[in-house]
Amino acid sequence: MFKNNRFYMFDERQTDMLELENISADIVRAPVLRGIHAGLPKGSICAVVGRNGAGKTTLLRVIMGLVPLRNGRVSLDGTDLSTVPAHGRARMGIGYAPQERVMFPTLTVEENLRLPCQVARFSRQQVDERLALTLEVVPQLGEMLPRSGAALSGGQGKMAALGRALMIGSRLILLDEPFQGLAPALAAQYADALKRLQQKVPDLCIVVTESNGSLLKDVPDRILHIERGALLPDEPLVTAENSAAPTFSQMETYP
Amino acid sequence: MTRDILILALLDGVSYAGLLFLVALGLTFIFGVVRILNVAHGSLYACGGYAAATLGLWLGGGTLGASLAALIGASIAVGVVLGTLLMLLLRRFQDRDPILQLLVTFGAFMIFEDLQRMIWGTQPYFVADVVNQMGTSEVLGVVYMNYQLLFVPGAAIAIFALLQWFLKHTLTGRQIIAVTHDREVATAMGINAKRIAYLTFIVGAMLGSLGGALASPTTSLVPGIGADMIVLSFAVVATAGLGQISGALLTALMIGLARSFCVYLYPELEVVMPYVIMVLVLLVRPQGLFTVAQARRI
Repeated sequence: MFKNNRFYMFDERQTDMLELENISADIVRAPVLRGIHAGLPKGSICAVVGRNGAGKTTLLRVIMGLVPLRNGRVSLDGTDLSTVPAHGRARMGIGYAPQERVMFPTLTVEENLRLPCQVARFSRQQVDERLALTLEVVPQLGEMLPRSGAALSGGQGKMAALGRALMIGSRLILLDEPFQGLAPALAAQYADALKRLQQKVPDLCIVVTESNGSLLKDVPDRILHIERGALLPDEPLVTAENSAAPTFSQMETYP
Repeated sequence: MTRDILILALLDGVSYAGLLFLVALGLTFIFGVVRILNVAHGSLYACGGYAAATLGLWLGGGTLGASLAALIGASIAVGVVLGTLLMLLLRRFQDRDPILQLLVTFGAFMIFEDLQRMIWGTQPYFVADVVNQMGTSEVLGVVYMNYQLLFVPGAAIAIFALLQWFLKHTLTGRQIIAVTHDREVATAMGINAKRIAYLTFIVGAMLGSLGGALASPTTSLVPGIGADMIVLSFAVVATAGLGQISGALLTALMIGLARSFCVYLYPELEVVMPYVIMVLVLLVRPQGLFTVAQARRI
């Protein structure tokens, strides 16, 4: 059943890169996440699937430190992230592409991409290296670089946001609903970029959220289903063999 | 004769627009990052003016250098001290209702106004050494002070250019742009938004006090100048669109000129003119003259 050798991901002895231990978080005193418990290993692409309002975005924002935890612990490679302020997490190698593509409009795309590395005080050479890697993974960005951040279409904006997350995210990348609203051709390009990324940076952990699981195709190694702020029991691994179609029906039939 | 009056009105308007722009720039700059419409900005203007006059008297104002040092020193000192005080106060009301924040800045404005009366009294202050030291020029047959003709508008334009350059080409400037545009995304990119907000607040506060310092040699300082200026610069900021820096420059020029032509031609309209412009603009463009439509989303 497990064609590739990724089955070790479900091996408890394998240390997880990102550990979410019993996470609860509130927004305006309403509980949004309730006791989320999961571990994501190095080199995995994990999808968090759930309908709108299930808490997907909040989960990513909690990992980024943008929403305070009420309970629980988030750790990356054993470091408890509660000791790291929100603005210090990018420097730890966490890249985040929010759902609303937010390129800063008065800067060019290239300036947008370089900014997180410059803020983290990378040397010029290091920034250039990251940019080269990003362009290898997302070659479509090449011709956008000199353009204004305001002059991108929706799909281009998603690509650029992925690129910006990649610039700083050397360990963990969080992508919030990247496939939402992408034309099929662009979605395929986006999925290809993620696969290239996994090849080039084998240790990278990627988390993708999506409300429509069928959009993900065979991209993720593992799918976490989230419903009203809690994870549902593990789904079987989605691979190319058991294809997207059955997963789609499973997803749609959740109460 | 009429021609002379028109030229005078034009020169007065440009000079006044320079002051108005500096104060409005500080206001709009702070709003962009901290998202608070800072009414206490008027106190910065008033205290900047008083401090410049006091420092000018203390330094003796014997030379042009001493006079300029008084203006610049006073604006930096007042900007840093009052800016820090305000920032510490507003930090306690972070993430609260914007109306409450507005009221807090209004309360701070009242307190600063009283403190200013305690320190400087209610007698008018007038220290104009620097204006005399800079001499006069003749423009199309009208003799005009170099200070108002060249120095004030020149300073406004120089600061505008410097700020634009700073925002576009320095790392700190780009971080300010990022926080202005989206605080959360900026934080996720590793930007310490609190530090950037503090920095912006101080820079904005210094612009307000610089406006007051530059105005001090040309007007007599009396209680209430802060209130006049804050209301007028609100009009500029609202007309231009909140957070619009280049827009504030053009709007300040427009309102400055309209006001000064009124002073010479229809004095009874002087006070109402800026608001007539503001209301007319907001009727047609409620988001302000220069606010670009939101970039399209998906």
